[in-house]
Amino acid sequence: MKKLIAAALAAGLLGSARAADITVCIWGTITGPDALVNGMSYGPRDYFEFLNQTKGGIAGNKVKLLLLDGRYKLDEELKIYRRCVDQEQAVYVNGWSTGSVKALRDQITQDKVPFMTQSYASEVLDPQKLPYIFMAGPTYEQQMIIALRDLAKSGGKNLVIMHPDNEYGRGPVNVVRQSKVIEGNGLTLQDTIEFPYDAQDLTAQMLRVKAKNPDMVYVQASTPQLLVILRDAAKVGLSAKKFVGNIYNISPAIPEQLGANAEGFRAIQVYSDFGSDIPAMADIKAFEAKGNEIQKRDVYYMKGWFEGQVMAKAIEAAIAKNGGKVPDDIAAFRQSVRNEMEGLKDVDTGGIVPPASYANHQGSTQARMAEIKGGKYVPVGDWIDAR
Amino acid sequence: MSRPVLAAVLLSVLAVIGTLLLGRFGAYMMHAVAIAAIGALSLNLLTGFCGQINFAQAGLLGVGAYAAGLAGNAGWDLLALPVAGLAAVATAVLIGLPALRLRGLYFAIATLAAQFILEYLFKFAEPITHGVSGLLIKPMTVFGRPIQADQGYAIVAITLLLATFLVMHWLRRTDLGRSFLVVRENEVVAKGMGINVARTKMLAFMISGFFAGIAGGLIGFTARLAHPESFGMSLSVDYVAMIIVGGLGSMPGAVLGAGFITLLPEAIQRLGEIFHISDQLSALREMTFGLLIILFLIFEGRGLSAIGSRLVSARGWRTRQGGRAEPLELQKIKSSQGGLE
Repeated sequence: MKKLIAAALAAGLLGSARAADITVCIWGTITGPDALVNGMSYGPRDYFEFLNQTKGGIAGNKVKLLLLDGRYKLDEELKIYRRCVDQEQAVYVNGWSTGSVKALRDQITQDKVPFMTQSYASEVLDPQKLPYIFMAGPTYEQQMIIALRDLAKSGGKNLVIMHPDNEYGRGPVNVVRQSKVIEGNGLTLQDTIEFPYDAQDLTAQMLRVKAKNPDMVYVQASTPQLLVILRDAAKVGLSAKKFVGNIYNISPAIPEQLGANAEGFRAIQVYSDFGSDIPAMADIKAFEAKGNEIQKRDVYYMKGWFEGQVMAKAIEAAIAKNGGKVPDDIAAFRQSVRNEMEGLKDVDTGGIVPPASYANHQGSTQARMAEIKGGKYVPVGDWIDAR
Repeated sequence: MSRPVLAAVLLSVLAVIGTLLLGRFGAYMMHAVAIAAIGALSLNLLTGFCGQINFAQAGLLGVGAYAAGLAGNAGWDLLALPVAGLAAVATAVLIGLPALRLRGLYFAIATLAAQFILEYLFKFAEPITHGVSGLLIKPMTVFGRPIQADQGYAIVAITLLLATFLVMHWLRRTDLGRSFLVVRENEVVAKGMGINVARTKMLAFMISGFFAGIAGGLIGFTARLAHPESFGMSLSVDYVAMIIVGGLGSMPGAVLGAGFITLLPEAIQRLGEIFHISDQLSALREMTFGLLIILFLIFEGRGLSAIGSRLVSARGWRTRQGGRAEPLELQKIKSSQGGLE
């Protein structure tokens, strides 16, 4: 046992040689406060595994995959990043929290490693200053703008915004408020309500909302907080129809736990849901039919599958540019993958998102509204572009 | 040069050589252990030497990180770290003035309250801390040149760890250091011996705060982000665990405890990967971590330092480092103060 522990530590500290030509390193919150949405880390892993099993990898080269648990802890995520870049010699890194990407953004540029972030924070999206960081959809601010446009289009006027007292809640709301986009759409912001991240009762806040009688309440919060909001809204007689949430409010837990009180709630849908009638689902089903277990059957898994698709496309293009061979020099390989990523245009994602282009480092800036009807999220309306 | 000092210097030199050989990831781990060890030595001074349980250690580290970040971003170069230390000293004084009137558990609860107040301030003192977004920190500079490599940070951290160890080693042998031990054992007796208990406790808190601030500054420079969620209560608990696992009151124990608590999660992860059970271990890691610490406390309550002492003794080397109870030290104090009886 002692020898095993020593071997493990030695392997960990001394580093290891490249065991495969293509290594992709993913870290997510496998355990921790955000684990509810960790399908977006299993998604890319499964997509690359799907390529390994059905196509022999990328351009005939098996992909070595690592899925590590960052536990939503900054120090752990910073450590994992170094392992991915230094020890594992990953050609592409897929990382989790907004905080870690913010902390690492200069190092990612310095290391010149392509990095797909799970965050939607606008602070980590800048193709000029942060040329190696890519995102998988509209930023939180753009998601909010899509909801505002929908409100304006439907003739609504008055708006209340709710958000928790953390960065995820406060940051995007401040950006949108300062950009004057609310007024620009002919809307009036009646109130902004901040509440404790771990609040268990928001009845008082709901009474405040009721007194304002807005046409829409935009919620920049996660699913656990939304459950409290909609529960207490029902308590004071506010319909869920008034509430709109972002991408992280598409969760089966909401209709399951709230039942009729969730009916009419709408959320921003960037990716087609798991089980939708789209070509990409055929691949997922084929993958499952080979005996692979799908850890999460939700929209976040679809996001991850989409990330896997575009990451693989860029790697494939980089290998093609090198005469069909994996470049020997990891730095050159990373640089080439980054360049090819930026050059991706109208990638067919099998219907998960509209054709995706990465010149803007976002892939897609489109989203549509999904409404809870009969206990399920149903897309309502067309794709709206936030730009 | 005494044996512990010689050993500390030699180990530091080996650690620096190690950082240069181990690559970037290894250097980062060395660096993480060195920072944790500075923080653990700082807490050991207050809790292990002076007997005051402090749950605001994470808050003091946070003050250090923000202060170093602000000073570093303003171009204060190497002065950023002493500034971090002094900011934490000022905070320790503010906490200490009301809290040090209390004893034992009541003091611990007061530091707990201070921890929550500091967390609140990190979130809401936006002009200074940048609130929930966190303060972005530029790389540390030495004479105007930024340190970019993890190896560079590791060497700085190891050097500062050695300096911290030597200062504490020296301090323990001064009258002030001995008065810490008397206060820890019995405040009434300390008063009877003419020791100003409140002043002694305050000095312990200030010195401990200074080194916590330095460790916090290093954390800030490495992460390049001082964020409220990084300095929460669980970090304070980690530091308490470090000094207990290492052996309360033992300086080598504090360093060993820091290494143990910092490296154990990585060791569990790597073992999981070897046996292809990393997914399962990932879910159980926190529990495994807690379970190992409980087992440790049950079967070796005096910590890693006691195990180390036994190993050294078994090889025929004499040592006086050990667990909390140090009758020899107290004997010296008794005689230096004219005796207790």
